[in-house]
Amino acid sequence: MPNQPSISRLLTVWLSGGLLVFWLIAVGLGVYVMQDEFGEIFDSSLQETAERLAPLVVDDLFLRDDNTATRQLESLYGTMPDEYLTYQVRDASGRVLLHSHNVAADPYPAPLKAGFWEDEHRRIYTVSAVSGTVFVQVADSLDHRKEAATEGGFALLLPGLLLLPLSVLAVIYIVKRAVRPVDQLRQAISSKDSGNLSEIELDRMPVELQPIMHSVNLLLTRLRGALEAERELTANSAHELRTPIAGALAQTQMLISELAQSPAQPRAMQVESALQKLATLNERLLQLARAEAGIGASGNAVDLAPILDLVVEEFDRRDSSGRLIYQRDAGLSLIKPANPDAFAIILRNLIENALLYGAADAPVHIEMGQGGAITIRNKASAMSDEELAHIRRRFVRGDNTKPGSGLGLAITERLLAQMNARLELSSITTEAGQSLFQAKIAF
Amino acid sequence: MRVLLVEDDAILGDAVKAHVASLGHAVDWVTTLEDASVSLRAVTYSLMLLDLRLPDGSGLTLLRDMRGREDATPVIILTAHDQISDRIEGLNCGADDYLVKPFNLGELTARMGAVARRYARIPSTFLCLGELKVQPTERRILRKGEDIALSGREWAVLDTLLARRTAIVSKSQIEEALYAFGAEIESNTVEVYVSRLRKKLGREVIETLRGVGYRIKVDDVKAD
Repeated sequence: MPNQPSISRLLTVWLSGGLLVFWLIAVGLGVYVMQDEFGEIFDSSLQETAERLAPLVVDDLFLRDDNTATRQLESLYGTMPDEYLTYQVRDASGRVLLHSHNVAADPYPAPLKAGFWEDEHRRIYTVSAVSGTVFVQVADSLDHRKEAATEGGFALLLPGLLLLPLSVLAVIYIVKRAVRPVDQLRQAISSKDSGNLSEIELDRMPVELQPIMHSVNLLLTRLRGALEAERELTANSAHELRTPIAGALAQTQMLISELAQSPAQPRAMQVESALQKLATLNERLLQLARAEAGIGASGNAVDLAPILDLVVEEFDRRDSSGRLIYQRDAGLSLIKPANPDAFAIILRNLIENALLYGAADAPVHIEMGQGGAITIRNKASAMSDEELAHIRRRFVRGDNTKPGSGLGLAITERLLAQMNARLELSSITTEAGQSLFQAKIAF
Repeated sequence: MRVLLVEDDAILGDAVKAHVASLGHAVDWVTTLEDASVSLRAVTYSLMLLDLRLPDGSGLTLLRDMRGREDATPVIILTAHDQISDRIEGLNCGADDYLVKPFNLGELTARMGAVARRYARIPSTFLCLGELKVQPTERRILRKGEDIALSGREWAVLDTLLARRTAIVSKSQIEEALYAFGAEIESNTVEVYVSRLRKKLGREVIETLRGVGYRIKVDDVKAD
């Protein structure tokens, strides 16, 4: 999901970006402060040089007879490449009396006034001597200072360029570690469904996430309670509804036997028939209520194959016509996270449909194959895809002349969806030209 | 058979009792677990029809108690709980069969017959007693294709003998079966009903072991 916002990505990008910006600001401030400090140091050494040079120069001038010509002092060590300091000794008229070997005889543009002066090339410090008749001016090239500042700046920047990628990696690692509890909580929440509503229990959950976990657990408890209440209501309703119907049906059947040969017997049989329909409809509505309550899903995986055996046996005992032909290879299991009661409802509906809507004289084949697919096949008229889609709808029956509620397939589909399974309906024609209706449960 | 019906719903209980009685069985009907426990301790029943949700508790508690004290009385659960887990729990507790309400009385008859056959170790649906063909679950006896009608008490005596057909049945065991019909038991009551049965079925069918009891002579067991 590349377009979905991610806390990890946001934190990584913003923290790395922030780190870079603050690092650059720190380097900038460092360079600024360093340049200022360097200026002070250079100025101090410039001033010290001028002040120490002045007595020597004055002494030298007084020892000489002729001071009319400008003299250049030769270097004792030859010309050095990194010589930045130069000096001139000037008289009150501005004439250069003496200058260092690495400067021209042209006077500095600085005025003959004690103190610092600066142009775009150099910074000059002037001291006066002999009652303001002799001036010693020491100049320092600004390139020198710029070079020092640049080298200092690089010295600050270069480690940063190396450390920055490491910092980004550290940020990614820290963010991942920091959001791991969020991820654990997300996974724990996403694993919850109607089959698993147990409370989330995660160790060492950060304090920031504990209220969320507490709220989710509270919600799960309430949801579990509501679903339990709904299921209990359905179970109680089943008892409360089935018992009076059972009483009425049993009394009616007794009445029918007691009214043998009486003209009232057909009427009693109509009452029995109506009660049978009521019982069937009641059964379907209870199943629908259970399906709507989400009983299909389960957190525990169980073997559903024995449930299939039990349901088929149940029908075998009820229906003595021997129409059911059941085939399940020995040892074949079907272990799925599904509710056994819901699975039994599904099987009952599909088998009942096959017995009810299939040709009365034809067998119903129930098979469980490799991979756990269960197929129920019965002889029936060929159906188009539209008709197959139509009978999946609620209160729609495949054959309106047959009794039924039209809810069986809808209930089955709903429960299978809760089990992450699907119902495949198909109308197939055998090589012998026989039309069969097939319902397949595919996990 | 003597049947104990444990059902708290008056309408259903009344109909089931009438139906089971119409099949020729003696029925004691109680509506609570406590009454059922008292009945079970006082009388030996051939079958119990047990509802699960009763005013004073679950029928499964009674069933567990029975099986715990090795009471092997056959039990068919009659319940509104239709879930497969309820069925498995019921069968695990020791029930022989499980019938979900609402049910057809015909289905109840078939289940009762199946359970009775299983306990009497009769794998088929009819027995041959000489020239007689007996279908206990159908309450039918045929001699050369003709029905022989027996009263409820006569069936009770015959059922008792058939249920223990490889063994000798004592006079007191037959008396107990007759008590369920509210019959006044006198010293010769058993002899009277055995005599009636012999008259209808033939003298050779029931053997008297003087001072010990009676035994029925089953020639063959056949499937339909």
